[in-house]
Amino acid sequence: MGGLIAYCARTAKLEILLSISTTNTMHPHLLTEDQRDCLQEITNVAMGQAGDRLARLLDVFVVLSIPHVSILNPTDIAMALQSLNRESHDVVHGVCQGFIGGGIAGEAMLIFNGTDFNDLAKLLKYERVEDEQAEYELLMDTANVLNGACLKGMAEQLDTHFSFGPPMLLGQHCNITDLLQNNNMTWKQALVVEINYSIENHKINCDLLIVIAEHSISGLVEKLNYLLD
Amino acid sequence: MATNKELRDFFEDVHWLMDILQNIDAGLVVMDKDYKVELWNSFMQNHSGKAPETVLKQSIFKVFPELSETWFKHKAQSVFVLQNAAFTTWEQRPYLFRFPHYRPITGTAEHMYQNSTIIPLVDSKGTVEHICLIIYDVTDTAVNKIAQQEANQQLQNLSRTDHLTGLFNRGYWELRLIQEFKRYDRYEQPSTLIMMDIDHFKKVNDKYGHTVGDDVIRQVSRAIKEQVRDLDIAGRYGGEEFGIILTNTDVEGAAVFAERLRATVEKQVVYSEGQQVRFTISLGVAELIESTVDHRAWIERADHALYQSKEGGRNRFTITT
Repeated sequence: MGGLIAYCARTAKLEILLSISTTNTMHPHLLTEDQRDCLQEITNVAMGQAGDRLARLLDVFVVLSIPHVSILNPTDIAMALQSLNRESHDVVHGVCQGFIGGGIAGEAMLIFNGTDFNDLAKLLKYERVEDEQAEYELLMDTANVLNGACLKGMAEQLDTHFSFGPPMLLGQHCNITDLLQNNNMTWKQALVVEINYSIENHKINCDLLIVIAEHSISGLVEKLNYLLD
Repeated sequence: MATNKELRDFFEDVHWLMDILQNIDAGLVVMDKDYKVELWNSFMQNHSGKAPETVLKQSIFKVFPELSETWFKHKAQSVFVLQNAAFTTWEQRPYLFRFPHYRPITGTAEHMYQNSTIIPLVDSKGTVEHICLIIYDVTDTAVNKIAQQEANQQLQNLSRTDHLTGLFNRGYWELRLIQEFKRYDRYEQPSTLIMMDIDHFKKVNDKYGHTVGDDVIRQVSRAIKEQVRDLDIAGRYGGEEFGIILTNTDVEGAAVFAERLRATVEKQVVYSEGQQVRFTISLGVAELIESTVDHRAWIERADHALYQSKEGGRNRFTITT
């Protein structure tokens, strides 16, 4: 079980857990076992490259978890985010960033749990974090660097190139769980690749969710099949 | 070898591209590793009002002192090393370059709000020696969003406030009482509740009329507002009843507060057709203790003390034992 599901397990009630574990089993019409393994392998390689790039930029050792691939619906993601919120009384911050290219589109969501702003500032070599706006900027910069490093690697593996939208702070203009639990969402299911980052000797721990939208999974499958042949 | 036609077509294409880049309604600045400006387009030239000869081959930080060097270099560093775009948004930093509003006559903002993207320019060897900074004018979006946030804030304040007194209304005050109760559960810092009401208020209303009654309520509310600290939570609980939550305050501190408020109100005067109207308040003080089951029980304890003040002759405070 991946960290995301594990977080739920720590706080959620049994019925919530059950609903997640049922949707978590691979849906055959979305991705076959082979395709899933292939995607896992690709992300693994991409993460290795990302770790290397980040080490060069930040002069630190980045500890990356093995990517975990699952299929989630909007409510699953909302609950997972909510359970992160409930876990501590501190505010959990998240940043999302859209990407598109080669017939694949999605969003990278970076959730900061147990992250110290001063450590983050130290990591990005910022002098000091004066106010809330500076904190937000720090989160966005971190997200951009981590997302960029990982997704660039993934795009290279898939022999394509992604364009990135500007990062957005989750919940700055709206409540993310309200948004995801709204039934008017245009998508029903999404492919989620989850990676956990932590940085050696820093109080920094975050989860990166690469959420690939339903309508572009076919584009990804095409590329995976090409690699599998 | 390219034919003349091919060459002509090629130059035409380049000419078009240059025309588009020059005239596109976004700012473009190409810089080298030393942040010297190699190229920029008319958007940048027109909005900054700087001539090309004063800008080209110059450090961007010298040309635009408002651009923070350390901050920008941080951003750009990740673009050079990761070959990965970097972004800034107006929410975090309203602008990079202080340009005036695009509509100097009807525009309300003092400056242009900007989003920006820094993209790597990969050369034929696959390395990044140059970056391109793209500036987007997002003033209209920003102004609308800010206005919306202000309107929401105003609505929120209105929905929380009692119109006559300017104190919190009962709904919001009770919400804060519940929060304070939970906070105590978690951190066990002392917290004391005061319930109070105006003595013989019905008589004031009957004798002098409701406008005088309202004046009395306003006077008492003003006294409360003047005495509470920023973190205290004061609300109008009912007609002439008020609730005050003194955060981080034990019963001794609350007693001092209650006595001071009582003495202040006692000295206040409201005039009705030249006649002096005087009034007093009774108060009940209850510090939150372990055995209190919920916020309602807390109110009941303070209410009980208030009742004892009434019984004991009014114009006094009683501490719950």
